[in-house]
Amino acid sequence: MAIRLYQEPELENSIMFCGWPGIGSIGILAIDTLRGLLRAPEFGQIEPWDFFEPQKVVIEKGLLKDLEFPSSKFYFQRVKDKDVLFFIGQQQPTEERTRYAQGQKAYQMANLVLDMAERFGCRRVYTSGAAVTQIHHTVKPRVWAVPNNQNLVEEVKRYQNTILMSQIEGRGDQGVITGLNGLLLGVAKKRGLEAVCLMGEIPYYLQAAPWPYPKASKSVLEVITKILGVELDLTILDELGQRVEQNIEEFLETLYSTEAIPPEVRDEIEKLRYTESMQPGPITEEEQKKIMEHIDELFDQGGGTFEKHL
Amino acid sequence: MKSIFKFSHEPKFENPSLIVGWDRDAGQLGPKVIEYLNRKINSRIFCEIEPVDFFSLAGVTIEKNIAQFPEGKFYCCERGFPQGRVPNDLVMFIGSEPGFERYRFLDGICDLAQHYCRVKELFTVNGTISSIAHTNPRKILAVYNTGEFQKELQNPGLEDMNWQGPPAISSYLLWVAKRKGIAGMSLWTQIPFYLASSKDFQAIKLTLSFLDRRLNLELDFKELDEQIAEQNTKIARLRHEDSEINRYIGALETGLSLSEEEQLALIKAVSEFLEKG
Repeated sequence: MAIRLYQEPELENSIMFCGWPGIGSIGILAIDTLRGLLRAPEFGQIEPWDFFEPQKVVIEKGLLKDLEFPSSKFYFQRVKDKDVLFFIGQQQPTEERTRYAQGQKAYQMANLVLDMAERFGCRRVYTSGAAVTQIHHTVKPRVWAVPNNQNLVEEVKRYQNTILMSQIEGRGDQGVITGLNGLLLGVAKKRGLEAVCLMGEIPYYLQAAPWPYPKASKSVLEVITKILGVELDLTILDELGQRVEQNIEEFLETLYSTEAIPPEVRDEIEKLRYTESMQPGPITEEEQKKIMEHIDELFDQGGGTFEKHL
Repeated sequence: MKSIFKFSHEPKFENPSLIVGWDRDAGQLGPKVIEYLNRKINSRIFCEIEPVDFFSLAGVTIEKNIAQFPEGKFYCCERGFPQGRVPNDLVMFIGSEPGFERYRFLDGICDLAQHYCRVKELFTVNGTISSIAHTNPRKILAVYNTGEFQKELQNPGLEDMNWQGPPAISSYLLWVAKRKGIAGMSLWTQIPFYLASSKDFQAIKLTLSFLDRRLNLELDFKELDEQIAEQNTKIARLRHEDSEINRYIGALETGLSLSEEEQLALIKAVSEFLEKG
């Protein structure tokens, strides 16, 4: 279990941004877009074989050329007066049949990432993921922020378009962040390292969809660019977001017209179209449950066929 | 870190070759090759991999009425050496594919091979399902983990494999061996699809013949020849009794393909006929 470095950049007071796949690929799309726009070069990786299964073997003319694993790579870039580290993981380490990281391997991965953060003088770590909530896909998503330290609350409150758990109706300050996004926050807290998770809102009826949700990634990136004090052209996310939204509309329209979902479920979803972000939710928990029963089933059956259009 | 190995004895080795097979294999090729070698060259177990870290041990699976249990056994041979060969020049491993911690399992095999047995080369033996007829000659598709080993072993009986996709456990092992500097080769012997769930003695013999030549084992193939003849006779009888089956196999013999329905009918008929003897 090791980290392989190609170079040893001299960084100080750095900030680390971490992204990996999750609901709507919101976190990884936000962080990887930022990395791409800042042209941050790769400088190391976590060796994958202790965490992941190989995905592909390449055998050419009888010679075993390569075995490909999901990557877990580190990048860095200087942005104005800040050294910025990135960690991009193509997969979360899971055990047995869990979807998100948990267990020993996830804990080891979180520690390896934070080892790197500390080695390169990192003072704060940001993770990013999805906040599943009662909004419509045409509404601008907000960002839910969860710091691992009370001292960060006031700062987080000043972030644009961002809310704390206590500001969300019916949550009672509580919630759960699954997978590495949550675990990293916890392990960082254990080490005395500041960390914040920024979660872009995604409509709950899309949480099982195979598509990315760029609109939420953009909301997250808008917060991050303010943190970094930079202005970046996020057109790439706008364009992708428009294509995804068009696909969602077409998908829902197909469901409505073929009556693949009952009219009352359609009405519940459409109620949200004319509502601001959940304050409080225009539909009940019971209604939400009913919608999810239908929509998740439909994505399992054939929603994946829409993936190719993206 | 706790050891994953349990040694029953500790033999000495002289740069042996390692042959690896997996217990679930098309035409039972891997297990039967290892079993034949074990029987013919008087080998015995010297080490096992403890299953607890690698398999779900929540009960046992049952196959063909028999309770199964995952295994990972190393054998060494203690042959007579009239031609002056050194002792213990062959190590064999037969194992179940691990359900978890596959890298650690394969790394363990290579570690033991390299540091304890000091193997000089590794071969994995596997069956690969093919649309050939059982009367057609089988090919061995070969994969090497270094170009040098490929040059050393290439011969007209082997065909270089091309493949991009999910890796088989043997390819994963070959890759782990390469990282450790162990030269390795996977032998993928063609198995007619309708013998995949039975035993393909012809493919077993072809694989053993390669190993026999490479490792100078001086194997006696009489028993296998008898099994091949018996199996061919049985299938010939089935063809005689069932004109549809005869037509299907005849089509395969001339290089034609069968529909999915025909393939399933052929698999069912041959498996049942061979099973009832």
